[in-house]
Amino acid sequence: MRNRNATAYRFLAPYLLIFSVFWVWPIISSFLISFQATRTVPWRFAPGFNWGRLIGDPAFFNALKNTLLILVIQVPVMIALAMVMAVLLNSPLLKARGLYRFAFFAPVVVGEVAYSAVFRLMFSLDFGIVNKLLNSVGLPKIDWFSNVTPAMALIMIAVTWRWAGYNAIILLAGMQSIPEDVYEAATLDRVSKLKQFFYITLPLLKPVIVFCLVLSIIGTMQLFTEPFLITERGGPGGGTETLGLLLYRQGFRSLNFGYASAVAYTMAALAIAITLVQLWLTREKQ
Amino acid sequence: MATVTLNNVVKRFGAFEVVHGANIDIKDGEFVVFVGPSGCGKSTLLRMIAGLEDISGGEIAIGGKLVNDIEPADRGIAMVFQSYALYPHMSVEQNLSFGLRMTGNPKADTERRVKRAAEILRISELMDRRPKKLSGGQRQRVAIGRAIVREPQVFLFDEPLSNLDAELRVQMRVEISRLHKELGTTMIYVTHDQTEAMTLADRIVVLRAGHVEQIGRPLDLYDNPDNQFVAGFVGSPKMNFINGRVVGRNTRSVTVELAGQERTRIMQPLTGAAPEAGSKVIVGVRPEHFGGAGEGDTDLVVTIDVVEHLGGTSFLYARTANGEDVVIQRDAAKVPTTSEVTVSIRKSYLFDEKGLRLR
Amino acid sequence: MSSLSSAKLRRSIALHLFLTPLALIWLFPLWMMVVFSTMPDNGIFSPGIELLPHGNFIDNFNNLQRDTDFVGAIGISVSVAVTYTVLSVLLTSMAGWALARYQFFGKGVVVGIIFGTITLPYAVVLIPQFIMVARDFQLANTWVALIVPPLFNSLGVLFMRQSFSMMPDDLFDAARVEGVKEWRIFLFVALPLARPMLAALAIILFLASWNNYLWPLLINSQPGSMTAPVALGTLIGLTKVSWGGIMAGAVMLTVPMLIVFVLLQRHFIAGIAAGAVK
Repeated sequence: MRNRNATAYRFLAPYLLIFSVFWVWPIISSFLISFQATRTVPWRFAPGFNWGRLIGDPAFFNALKNTLLILVIQVPVMIALAMVMAVLLNSPLLKARGLYRFAFFAPVVVGEVAYSAVFRLMFSLDFGIVNKLLNSVGLPKIDWFSNVTPAMALIMIAVTWRWAGYNAIILLAGMQSIPEDVYEAATLDRVSKLKQFFYITLPLLKPVIVFCLVLSIIGTMQLFTEPFLITERGGPGGGTETLGLLLYRQGFRSLNFGYASAVAYTMAALAIAITLVQLWLTREKQ
Repeated sequence: MATVTLNNVVKRFGAFEVVHGANIDIKDGEFVVFVGPSGCGKSTLLRMIAGLEDISGGEIAIGGKLVNDIEPADRGIAMVFQSYALYPHMSVEQNLSFGLRMTGNPKADTERRVKRAAEILRISELMDRRPKKLSGGQRQRVAIGRAIVREPQVFLFDEPLSNLDAELRVQMRVEISRLHKELGTTMIYVTHDQTEAMTLADRIVVLRAGHVEQIGRPLDLYDNPDNQFVAGFVGSPKMNFINGRVVGRNTRSVTVELAGQERTRIMQPLTGAAPEAGSKVIVGVRPEHFGGAGEGDTDLVVTIDVVEHLGGTSFLYARTANGEDVVIQRDAAKVPTTSEVTVSIRKSYLFDEKGLRLR
Repeated sequence: MSSLSSAKLRRSIALHLFLTPLALIWLFPLWMMVVFSTMPDNGIFSPGIELLPHGNFIDNFNNLQRDTDFVGAIGISVSVAVTYTVLSVLLTSMAGWALARYQFFGKGVVVGIIFGTITLPYAVVLIPQFIMVARDFQLANTWVALIVPPLFNSLGVLFMRQSFSMMPDDLFDAARVEGVKEWRIFLFVALPLARPMLAALAIILFLASWNNYLWPLLINSQPGSMTAPVALGTLIGLTKVSWGGIMAGAVMLTVPMLIVFVLLQRHFIAGIAAGAVK
């Protein structure tokens, strides 16, 4: 290949322009804003102002705790479920594969607002179909919106419903790229299907699983719409408030950009730290 | 039509040098084949002539004009690729005319050139088809047609036949020869197949590991190789190489004894400096240069492992007393029945330990 | 042989017995969305269990249109999503082409940065983006605000880079030898060959724009400039609002996408899966 600096940058220019204006500069700017008091005019440089507040803010720790709780429970459950879906959808014994695929993959196209609305209706206390069904099999109603634990569970259920199929698509594609003859050889060696999964599929799929985990962690870290719309602005009483919601509240309701930027950078730092730990734990042994 | 001159051409990828100063003079209208094993730099050299690779050092001139910094399109060349590189989303006609259309060539002229190329290659009835609907040979013709349409001064072929089956390959080889006669244009052709090189070329350039090993007419390379590599590369089956030792010399000849065969001595006339007595040399014998016992300079006893019958001729796969493998070509009628057999060496080549020809 | 196939049959039955209820649970919210959208409000909030559609969709839609200009919002959403998709496909494939097909100074840095942004939460750039677009450029409540900032997209570029680098080199060299300019090679050779990949990319980008919520919520909050999800979102949580209407809106946002999904499933799945296949 010949070196073609001018041509290459001509093709890249529009993309790099958008990137610089709407990403590179904001990343820097956000960092700088987090060191400024932004509720005075003009803004003034006050290094400890936002970060100092962050360390002592119970609302921040509440949001952090909720976010991490969702992260720790919801992400592994969802990835495991996605894995089950992918394995079963990949089974040669499955009939009417298209229907099952539709069922699991359809949530991928559903917008956050639309599904938040449906979940709110389905889980409402007296007239929600979920409580009605629980009642009809003799179980007590659950007050999904007034108690913290059910409210958190509801958020996790909703997010899992929306994203499990998405991850299953990625995992399934990964599985289908594993050559068939590896399994044929294992079958000839009388390795059971279950062992094939644990000793062939899982190790070969590791990079794909890590990719899914990283995407899911970053997504969940920024969780906003579900607690905003389903549990009514992080209710009950901040019980489902997430970092995303805190950022929204501080940045766009109180117009406290400095503090919101500090929250944003905390999210980024957490996401990157968790990603790095992931990559380190699953690194290829030399 | 044009000459092509490579003057000390060097190619580096980063710190890694893959072509180490190639000097090649190609005459106007000549058919030159670059041949060598994979990784020898022959394709890189061709792509540098085409302008698809930067030239790291030296000069390339086409028609006497330095082209180092000239875009591929302005070098007066056309190239036929190994993979044919036909645009799958265009019909044959669109494939042939694409370059001319894209560069604003007058429409009438484009049509004339496309029509002429189609006639030369007898693909006129395929013009509306997509490449997917063509056979391998037809695709090859279209790829060549696309080069003809450009009416170039130099045709470049990059292993154009390697994707075809054996029969089609022979057929297309003849076709390309005919094309060269018909057009009379300078052609540079890259292949790893020495048979293609021998049959097509006016002159062959043998390359190895980025070095030009020898340039010459096919039969010159066969009869008079400069070194062990060229000797082994040209001719099929390969030349046999047997270790030997110099046992005597004078001003005009040298006497060599084959390793492990005290009675087998070969005397070779030598004009250059002869190696010291006792130094190791390599004796090269082509399979077709073995004869029956007593028919040649000297006799050799070998043990036959396998005999391959090809009809008219047969190949004997055998070992010398020293355990060195040799292939011997024989008329089918003269295949011996015993496993141990005496053959004679009718013609041989001597190489020194570094593989350079002693002559 | 017969014992083997009966074992297979048992496994097959177990598979379907497990997967069918799971699939039904997964379809349930979508089904209920459709059911709710056809029920009158007093039906939604009544004690009985209703699992089948009624005939109230049109009334619900009229209620929705009374609460907010949903048709107008859909118009904005469609126009924005189409414009965004066209621009983003062009931008993304141009960048992907450059990264796949040219050797140039700084290439490693550019690729590294694009990869790096995958792990960076969008939240980090949200506030400065907002300040820039709303305060500095004074573009709040315009289409430009909805379309331009989200144009940067790293997974799409990596996908297109992958697509272009899998094409044979010779094809483009052949055009180069013929004197075809690079941008024409891109336009007339590379893009037509990448059609299936472009389709996958376009679908994913359209969907992302169509469903985008947070950014449009922040930047286009004026009635009359809202996208459909934002308009619908403003109704959720209001006390005097038609829930049947909200569900009708949800159906209008979702069902067209589901139809596209069914028709173009292959491209859809390719687009999503491509993220993982490096």
